[in-house]
Amino acid sequence: MSNLNATMATALSGLLADQGALETTTNNVANSSTPGYSRECPVLVPGDPVVEGPLTFGTGVVLQQVESVRDGILESRIQQETQQQGKQDALLAALQQTQVNFSSSSGDIGSAISSFFNSINQLSTNPSDLSLRQGVLTAAGNLATAFNQTAANLETQRTNLDLNVTQTVSQINQLTQQIAQLNGQISDLTNVGQNAGTFIDQRTQLIDQLSSLVDVSVIQSDKSITLTTSNGTALVAGEQAFQLAAQPTAASVSDVVANGQDITAQLTGGKLAGLIQARDQEIPGVLANLDSLASGLADAVNQVQTTGYDLNGNLATGVNLFAPPPAGGVGAAASMSVALTDPTKLAVSSDGSPGSNGNAEAMYAINNQAVAGNQTPTDYYSGIVFGIGNSVANATAEDNASTLVLQQLNDQRGSISGVSLNEEAANLVQYQEAYNAAAKVVTTISDMMQTVINMKTT
Amino acid sequence: MRVNPNPVPDMLAALSETQQQQQTAELQIATGKRVNSPSDDPAAAAVLVQNQDQTAEADQFLQSAGSIQGQLQTVDSTLSTVTTLLNRAISLGVEGGNGTLNSDDRAAIATELSGIQTQLLSAANLSYQGNYVFAGTASQTAPYVLDPSSASGVSYVGNLGKNSVTLGTDYKLATNLPGPQMFAASGTDMFQAMHDLITAVQSGTGVDAAMSELSAAYASISSQRVFYGNALNQLNSQQTYLNTQKVQLAQQETNAGGADLAAASTNLAAAQTAQQATLAAVARAEPMSLFDYLPQY
Repeated sequence: MSNLNATMATALSGLLADQGALETTTNNVANSSTPGYSRECPVLVPGDPVVEGPLTFGTGVVLQQVESVRDGILESRIQQETQQQGKQDALLAALQQTQVNFSSSSGDIGSAISSFFNSINQLSTNPSDLSLRQGVLTAAGNLATAFNQTAANLETQRTNLDLNVTQTVSQINQLTQQIAQLNGQISDLTNVGQNAGTFIDQRTQLIDQLSSLVDVSVIQSDKSITLTTSNGTALVAGEQAFQLAAQPTAASVSDVVANGQDITAQLTGGKLAGLIQARDQEIPGVLANLDSLASGLADAVNQVQTTGYDLNGNLATGVNLFAPPPAGGVGAAASMSVALTDPTKLAVSSDGSPGSNGNAEAMYAINNQAVAGNQTPTDYYSGIVFGIGNSVANATAEDNASTLVLQQLNDQRGSISGVSLNEEAANLVQYQEAYNAAAKVVTTISDMMQTVINMKTT
Repeated sequence: MRVNPNPVPDMLAALSETQQQQQTAELQIATGKRVNSPSDDPAAAAVLVQNQDQTAEADQFLQSAGSIQGQLQTVDSTLSTVTTLLNRAISLGVEGGNGTLNSDDRAAIATELSGIQTQLLSAANLSYQGNYVFAGTASQTAPYVLDPSSASGVSYVGNLGKNSVTLGTDYKLATNLPGPQMFAASGTDMFQAMHDLITAVQSGTGVDAAMSELSAAYASISSQRVFYGNALNQLNSQQTYLNTQKVQLAQQETNAGGADLAAASTNLAAAQTAQQATLAAVARAEPMSLFDYLPQY
């Protein structure tokens, strides 16, 4: 048999639960535009029933917990895609800068090559003309300058990328520090059975940020998480963060070092991987091609120059037009220079007479001979332009694709975890009505109690 | 299914995309180029590099052809003078061969012939822009010098070098004939013939032999002169070819990297419309929610 006090308690449980649910709704509305916030949901369960003789009575409602609504697998997909996008973004930005050196139609290496050979063709029409000879030296100088400037621009870009690597490493260290701290707070809260949803949201947000910088794998345990790079280097374990370091090397760029181990080449995602790919692969690749072209061209021209005769009829043995490129060609583009200053020393003649243009013709023919990669100078250069254009186009496509995927994933996250104001308004009304009704019940029971108290026994 | 309650990121992405399309179309219209960076079309960018080189090369070939043309024309007109002089010498030789002339008359004719000889020498030492054109490749010194020890009274100090200049892909034009090949081809030396004629007219003997010598020299020079006529003709047709090639290259450049202005304008209009529509949608996105309908107290 039930009693009024018990009924009152049941009514009160409704009041409390509804108040808690209302608070959840209020918190959701307040955080409706907080980035990374996952909506919270009150978990209401019926109270344990009491059995009295043949009857079973409910004991009201219990607000068991406030649960954050999130999909762990989706979160980790987002983190993975964020890594991909971080990498593509960094790579694309770098490649676009590189491409600028190959976009202009005047003053670039291609037009400098054309101008150089054209000056030789002009000289060929009047081989003893000093101003035409000077014209060839000037064009050769412009060609060397075009190579020098492009190589210098690419080197500067590499230096900037390296600086960016160092900065990114310190950003990563800050984030892992914060995540380790949050891990501690979360496990403290869960140890005492509290909802750590807000902290988990913050941590998710930080892991997202970290994912845009470096490839992160998240290993979830009961209370805390462990973060590693995809090759297994530990970043965060529980409450401890492991610092990465950017260590300068002899090659004037910094290696990324974790716990004494060089992991530079093993990074696969995030901004850091994109920066490193541009710094260590893309730009050095373009530079190596420029070096091949510069050294091939200089060698071929010198070869012809040193077998001809100058204006005074002297065999030009050992009198190079371009300073001989370094052995193996490394650094040839950056160091290309004109060795000849006296236009009369240009070996235009093939028979020793000042009016002969035979050697100029031979020099001009280099324009159509293989000097690098079994290709003519212009063909080889157009190949370089194609290569860089293709890299940028591919990086753009991949970046767009991963942006799109990420957008869809975020949409999906929003559809699961985002705060909907309509929903919250409906909940508000619902909880308010329930609260009102429970309050009404309390009033009614209170009336009934009055009735009981006022009862007179006769 | 629950929908994402926050449409703003999607709208911003859409806005940025239409903005990007708009900028691309604007750039194409402003520059007239479809390929403004190699990444716009890497293959076309590579073609454009080669096209640019070929265009610059064709321009250079035309410029070189122009330089050579001046030289060839000067040489040709000088050779025309030479044949006129030789004609006059032949007429004088016929006159000098007349047995009724006295020695004074013959001396007068011989003097005139010597004058022609001097003019021929000057013609053979023709210099164009500081280069002696009949000197072979030894073009810095006058090739024909007076030389009393020589049988003809003149000796050749040039060489037999020839130049040719590249004026097209796989096309070279020979630009000079050394003096001996011009004036002494097939064993008949113009200066020797003149020298012999002058001596014969002075002495009154052997004029016929000298005359046939001179006629042979005249015929030989006339036939060698064709070299320059041919060269000029070839030069003309090469210039025509190069100009055609330039037109083709320009066409190829437009095909490879030029913007389709009609398409670009259409794209621009479409992007602008999309941009405006998206903006309007974003402006209205600030949602009416159920909260607006809750009773006011």
